[in-house]
Amino acid sequence: MLQQYFGELETGLLSAIRGSDGLVNPRKLYSLEVARLGKRLCSGTSPVAWCGITAPFDLLHSMGVTSSFVEFVGALLAVTGVAGAFIDTADQAGYSSDGCSYHRAVMGAASQGLMPEPAFLVGATNPCSGGLAAIECLARHYSRPLTVLHIPQDESGGNVAYLAQQIRVLAGFVTAHTGLPLDRDRLREAIENTNRTRAAMCEMYALAQRVPSPATSKDLSNFGVVLPLFLGSEAAVELACAYRDEFARRCAASPTTKKRETFRLMWIQNRIQFRQDLEKLLENEYKAVIVVDELNDVTWDEIDPEEPFEGLARRSISIPFNGTMERRVEHLQKLAREYRIDGAVSPCNWGCRQGTGARGLIQAGLEEIGVPVLNLEVDCVDDRKYTEGQVRTRVEAFVEMLHGRSSPWN
Amino acid sequence: MFYLGIDIGSLSCDAVLIDEDARALAGAVVPTGARNRDAIRRATDEVLRAAGVSRDQVAAVVSTGYGRDRVDERLAAVTEITCHARGIRALYPATRILIDIGGQDSKCMLLTNEGKIVNFAMNDKCAAGTGRFLEAMARALQVDIDEMSGLDAGAAGTVTISSMCTVFAESEVVSLIAEGAAVNEIVRGLNRAIAARTVSLLKRIAPRHAELPVAMSGGVARNSGVVHALGESLGCQLLVPDSPDTVGALGAALIARERAHLSQPAPTSSR
Repeated sequence: MLQQYFGELETGLLSAIRGSDGLVNPRKLYSLEVARLGKRLCSGTSPVAWCGITAPFDLLHSMGVTSSFVEFVGALLAVTGVAGAFIDTADQAGYSSDGCSYHRAVMGAASQGLMPEPAFLVGATNPCSGGLAAIECLARHYSRPLTVLHIPQDESGGNVAYLAQQIRVLAGFVTAHTGLPLDRDRLREAIENTNRTRAAMCEMYALAQRVPSPATSKDLSNFGVVLPLFLGSEAAVELACAYRDEFARRCAASPTTKKRETFRLMWIQNRIQFRQDLEKLLENEYKAVIVVDELNDVTWDEIDPEEPFEGLARRSISIPFNGTMERRVEHLQKLAREYRIDGAVSPCNWGCRQGTGARGLIQAGLEEIGVPVLNLEVDCVDDRKYTEGQVRTRVEAFVEMLHGRSSPWN
Repeated sequence: MFYLGIDIGSLSCDAVLIDEDARALAGAVVPTGARNRDAIRRATDEVLRAAGVSRDQVAAVVSTGYGRDRVDERLAAVTEITCHARGIRALYPATRILIDIGGQDSKCMLLTNEGKIVNFAMNDKCAAGTGRFLEAMARALQVDIDEMSGLDAGAAGTVTISSMCTVFAESEVVSLIAEGAAVNEIVRGLNRAIAARTVSLLKRIAPRHAELPVAMSGGVARNSGVVHALGESLGCQLLVPDSPDTVGALGAALIARERAHLSQPAPTSSR
């Protein structure tokens, strides 16, 4: 069923990927890669690995493994409007209804046989303990081998070497359970692709920071969290370059886009995954554009192809959800300054300790530099809990409030 | 000309008509019921009749409340947060914090000296502590909702309501009645529970509120017991208008007047 769905999605997107001007639409290219990944996961042509968010996907790609973090499946179920039924299945099996719906949807999908069976699983201790629990449950469910990467909180002491050694061991673990060897040339090629992707992303984000921003609210939705799934491949390079080139074109034509940007917003953590009109409402009725998401940033240095494991380790440690909350708040403040943000929206996904636990500190940290924060209380996956009127009132009142404030950057 | 503000809430539809000098001429509060367009028409007719004004003398209408998009003749729809803030400042210009508890929402707003909203917070996930909550408790106590106000008179504060889930709180009230607890003590316990929840909301936006004048609007502000419990918790006396239900509609009418003036073409000089 899923393979057919992704196959049809791929066909549809391929025919629509170029506009009447013949140029590639980067958002459609992004969706195409998502469809292709979904299709590969379901095809059975290569071993599948279910992973935590900070797994080294470029290493797995170089070894011929199709891999994904499990929350990707939760988000896909939400987008297609079927997450609710799987969440119910998980709840009936005893998962707490106060838990994260990304993981509950995945557990329900696994127990109903919808998830492709993995060859092995790679958990990670960061950023999300709920995610690690879900991976452990899946390993038990499928009776497949699990390895866990213990991600240090920062780069101090021997932390990089410690994680790099674990990633080396991971390569051996993959070989042991799939028979696929680590080929140094293929790994080098993957790392070079990752570095090319990174360079294009840096240019793309620099363009997105311009006033007015060439980015619309939908352009980079989920981009920073999903792109790592494609790292190491030519497709990731092509995708980042497509966005960079499109943004450059829009910047060159900025007079036509200037009118639509009264307020520049930052989205904290992940977007609401099911279909709703929040971004459209903000953009069309209030000219309030989400120009940056928390995870849309390059926080890691280019990886040395001669020392790939150390570079991959540094990247895993660098993600803003890792380490202390102080570090996360500093990163959000940096983004707010770089993008000249007028206000931030935090969905505070139900059941997420990062989303809800950090709420007060994030709000205080951003208000300290003059950026107000709208805290919503939304289950980002389960649309049955979404009360449109309530959310709309909060969002509209927030924008009305912004009208009464002066910009923190004037 | 005249300006009309309409606030379509979950329990009541409120309307206020003002004149060119921003004086309130009439206000109306009618139950919203299942058909909010009927409620809008009834509330509008009532204020026009009371003020002796015809429909074509109304220059602009601004709507607010959860049903704000249902007012077809509106010049604009504005959220109740902005409208309540605007309305209360017209009544009490010193207000810096506003608590608005309506049928299904509780809101706290922090205002600048000039009356601009700098922060706000709303109840999350459930409607405990709102008008609907009080309605359910009145039902459990077998009293009319309007009788709830003042029913806590003489209570010593011996009863605590620990659950804020409406269903569980209702069960708790029923158990307390069965145990023989006095009605005034139960009502005091309920008022304190609502106050505690509201104060938590308020402290999110104004942790240092002690010196700031606090006002209250919305239908629940008619309940003197809740107002008293809130004042007790905050250590101040709340400013409560005579008609707290219509503060949002008043704010909407004032915004209607302002926007109508803004949209008028500037007078041109003639030779």
